Amino acid sequence: MYAVEMRGITKEYPLVRALDQVDFFLREGEILSLLGENGAGKSTLMKVLYGMCRPDAGEIRIKGEKADIRTPKQAIDLGIGMVHQHFMLIPVMTVAENIVVGQENTKGLLFNQAEAEKRVQEMIDRYGFGIKASQKVSELSVGEQQKVEILKAIYRDAEILILDEPTAVLTPQEVEELFRILRDLKKQNKSIVIITHKLKETLAIADSVSVLRDGKMIKTGMPVQGATADELAQMMVGREVTLGVSRRSKKVGETALLVRDLVLTEKGRTLLNHVKMELKKGEILGIAGIEGNGQTELIECLTGIRRPDVLDVEKDGKKLGGTPGDFIHAGIGHIPEDRMTRGLILELSLQDNLILGYQDRFQKRGILDQKRIREFSDNLLKEFRIKAPGSMAKAGSLSGGNQQKVVIARVFSEDPDIIIVAQPTRGVDIGAMEYIHERLLDLRDEGKAILLISADLDEVKSLSDRLTVMYGGRLVAEGKPEEFDDMELGLLMTGAISGEDREVQRHGSTNS
Amino acid sequence: MAARTADIRGILTKNLSVTALFMALILGGIIMAVCGYNPFEAYGAILQGAFAGKKAICQTLVQATPLIFAGLAYTVAKRANLINLGIEGQLYIGALGTSVIALMPLNLPMGIWLPLALAAGMIFGGLYAGLVGFMKVRFGSNEVIATMMLNTIAENFVEYAVNYPLKEEGKSIAQTAKFSEALWLPRMVDKTQLTVAILIAVAACILVKLLMDRTRIGYEIRCVGQNLQASETAGIRIGRVMIISMLISGAIAGLLGGTHVLGVDRRLIAGFSSGYGFDGIAVAALAADSPIAVILSGIIFGALRAGSMVLNRTTGIPTEFIDVIQALIILLVAAPLLVKEILRIKNKKSEKKGGRKG
Amino acid sequence: MSSQITSILVSTLSMSVPLILAALGGVLSVRSGIMALGLESMMTMGAFCGVLGSYYSGSAAVGVLCGMLGGGVFGICHGILSVRYKVNQVISGIGLNLLAVAATTLLMQLLWNNKGSSPQVASITQDVLGSPITYLMLAAVFAEQFVLFRTKFGLRLRMVGENPKAAATVGLPVHRIKYIAVTLCGVLAGLGGAYLSIDHLDMYVRDMSAGRGYIAVAIMILARYNPIMVLFCALIFGFSDALQISLQGYGVPPQIMAMLPYIVTLLVLAFGVRRITPPAGVGLHDDE
Repeated sequence: MYAVEMRGITKEYPLVRALDQVDFFLREGEILSLLGENGAGKSTLMKVLYGMCRPDAGEIRIKGEKADIRTPKQAIDLGIGMVHQHFMLIPVMTVAENIVVGQENTKGLLFNQAEAEKRVQEMIDRYGFGIKASQKVSELSVGEQQKVEILKAIYRDAEILILDEPTAVLTPQEVEELFRILRDLKKQNKSIVIITHKLKETLAIADSVSVLRDGKMIKTGMPVQGATADELAQMMVGREVTLGVSRRSKKVGETALLVRDLVLTEKGRTLLNHVKMELKKGEILGIAGIEGNGQTELIECLTGIRRPDVLDVEKDGKKLGGTPGDFIHAGIGHIPEDRMTRGLILELSLQDNLILGYQDRFQKRGILDQKRIREFSDNLLKEFRIKAPGSMAKAGSLSGGNQQKVVIARVFSEDPDIIIVAQPTRGVDIGAMEYIHERLLDLRDEGKAILLISADLDEVKSLSDRLTVMYGGRLVAEGKPEEFDDMELGLLMTGAISGEDREVQRHGSTNS
Repeated sequence: MAARTADIRGILTKNLSVTALFMALILGGIIMAVCGYNPFEAYGAILQGAFAGKKAICQTLVQATPLIFAGLAYTVAKRANLINLGIEGQLYIGALGTSVIALMPLNLPMGIWLPLALAAGMIFGGLYAGLVGFMKVRFGSNEVIATMMLNTIAENFVEYAVNYPLKEEGKSIAQTAKFSEALWLPRMVDKTQLTVAILIAVAACILVKLLMDRTRIGYEIRCVGQNLQASETAGIRIGRVMIISMLISGAIAGLLGGTHVLGVDRRLIAGFSSGYGFDGIAVAALAADSPIAVILSGIIFGALRAGSMVLNRTTGIPTEFIDVIQALIILLVAAPLLVKEILRIKNKKSEKKGGRKG
Repeated sequence: MSSQITSILVSTLSMSVPLILAALGGVLSVRSGIMALGLESMMTMGAFCGVLGSYYSGSAAVGVLCGMLGGGVFGICHGILSVRYKVNQVISGIGLNLLAVAATTLLMQLLWNNKGSSPQVASITQDVLGSPITYLMLAAVFAEQFVLFRTKFGLRLRMVGENPKAAATVGLPVHRIKYIAVTLCGVLAGLGGAYLSIDHLDMYVRDMSAGRGYIAVAIMILARYNPIMVLFCALIFGFSDALQISLQGYGVPPQIMAMLPYIVTLLVLAFGVRRITPPAGVGLHDDE
């Protein structure tokens, strides 16, 4: 018996066919991994199922019954629940309010807050989630927020649960916890879809796997047992890929960036607590950590966007400070963590975007040199293999991977001494990812100092020459990437153990 | 025939702003008809009043001049994603600045005095608008409310000025003395009010176009207008850019005020603006924030204004219809989705008709 | 002296009533995620339709109802433009404000052949302490506070305003809730407008709202989008308005005094409303 059958689903957007005659089946009581690269159409397919996106063609059956799902409300009524990649929570409201809204289950017009909290708390306790129903969502950690999202679905009696990239922001421990919860739910005969591009997790939790590539279903409902990561990767990308290639630095030079002290407080909270670090020429220093532990703030302080309370930072022996412009002129390149908000101006042309931040070099007495800008842009588009109709095309018309290449082309071409790179491959396809990693390693080998911040543990581990962990606004541990195992990193990232504990443990173990 | 309607529909869907203009005119006609007036007669009279003969065309250009200035002022701020509703106030303060220089007994040659007076107006208007920019940058004040408050304050202040310190001595009317002849903007056509102000307005549009496309500050204004955070990350001093764009916007509004008092009234009178600042929103909306298109858009609205004056004289149809149509244009131009929907409905109907005939 | 103080206090209340009503409407609108810059148009329509209703029926009560209806219609228009047709909410608000002034002036010209003011019509009391609208306003303050924070509808409305996308994913009828909020907003602002024309005065005067809609927006922000706070914040503005009226004729030029309420608003904007964050979903369309 299928919980969900989708046949011939087609969805076209003005420029692309996001889904092309896709068939999708979910058996009752199974965990299915919907595997595919960024942009393959996984989320779109599930949004069709959840009534957030109308397909141009196709048929959906839920438990054998034909269903016409036009709104999330109808999907909810059919027992479908969805945990979105970007959580759909209201930070200023309580856990209970977030969960019950829309189905308050109280008589009359009134909303009884105390009763709602009681009911939600019972549910939390039943699943052993360890959060308080009366807490504001803004006070919860990312992992806890995800539990609220799962509760939202369960509260609405979801029999079919869709999770979109659920592990993207979790620590290894939290991933384990999530998997435990999912197995529990499976025991209650719930059917679960996990949208992911991670092979490791597919192999760890899923019963079967369906693979999407470029809007087409490549494999439907293949049993996971007996499958290998290489096999899945090849299906997903359509060619052979070599996963996790890297090479370490051969020549680490002298100190490029010395952070003696960095303190940032805001509204009485300490966001950066005496951060100290040293970045050398010819190395990649990776910072691992869960989002929200000060990484964003660290980047913003080291690029002049924020003014910290204490900023004692030297580049090549000279003190740094001032506005973002001063930092750029001092030779610090910045690849922002979110290209849409900080990296690019989507409404402007590629020419405009490629000189952004370096416009001073293309002007004389305030007048822009159009010819040079044009030549410069055309060269970069070629050099970085950016797929675009031309340098006057709007940045917003490009794919995610090509957009990221624009940001990277801009920064790399200006030859900065230090490059601060945040989430360089978020939301890009594997081809672009390989290219970006390769360029980063090349620059490192040329002697640039690179600070890499990424939520993707595999990425930081494979690229970094040196790795530190950020927790609660501090850098809590440092070492060679191969010295850390994933579980240990997870504990450091959640503050369960501190850097000192780790040292003690390690020395203890070598002594014995 | 069917192919041609499809063509027309294609053109209409591509130029939604122009389509919106026509829809507003049609809607205005329907409203006229409902009120018991003949819209064809009205639009005929407007066309005649706006374009029939040298005098009518001059009148259209006279009316277009302040509208081009106002539309341009709005456009400059809009490019930095700021809504400058304060053009009305800025033009009053600009007119005040020009008048102060004009009323000083300087007795300079025209070639110096006149530009000096206009420059004073630009500085006054610019600083008045710059204040809004400063408040937004420094205190995060909502510029829409701030400008509305500053409008009322400016109008009251000019009224105070012409009633007390600047009042023509020995007269009971609240206005300043007539300016020296050296300050009258030269007329381009005899016996009309068409002065070189229209040339100044067109030149201002071209200058702004060059500023936006060819200069660093123009580039930075465009960046800030489209994405504040990316601009900040790129080291652009966004506060400075916002204030500069408000300064430019206000200076253009000040020029509006200055050219009005030097070219039309030749003295400062309270309440001389018939809401030019708000007309500017309609002009800018129709021009889709392009400085060059502002010229054309200003002339279209100028023609409406010029025509409506004749309209009232010859047919007795109230000129207020034009204000209603203007507001409808702002709303329709801002609602491309609505325009498309109306087009679709009309098209379905015509297809049905065509089908029956076939 | 004491009679003067009393008269200033009464006048303060009288100036505050329309501001409070409009700001209450604005709170509902903003809490549902729609900017309230169209308040001026809803007040204008309220004032005009109030007179229109009273003129034709001879009853001030019918006038008040017509005023609320007129404001409500413009509220729905603002809602449809910004929700269904995704118009920039600032432009929609301003366009409606211009339309309201133009349309009312045109109608005055057509109906009464006078662009400046309407004939005198049946009015309520012209005494703020005895006016039913004053008490209606007080009731509205507490009713709105209760609805927003103690009912299911209030919870849903706040959710929609914070994050319309999230609200849609739990199956809330986002558009319907927004339409209800912005219509109620128009009704309240319309009542405020009707107070101006057929309670405070007994006729409509061109551009009667005179920027009060914008002042109401400032009040609403200063009150942190909280109905009870609106009550208190509005009194500051009412007081400055009352003060300028009572200080006229003391040798200060009237034009200078007339600036007072606007200068107060400006100062509040500059120094009073920093770090007040509106609901996160304000101005967003569903797909953003």
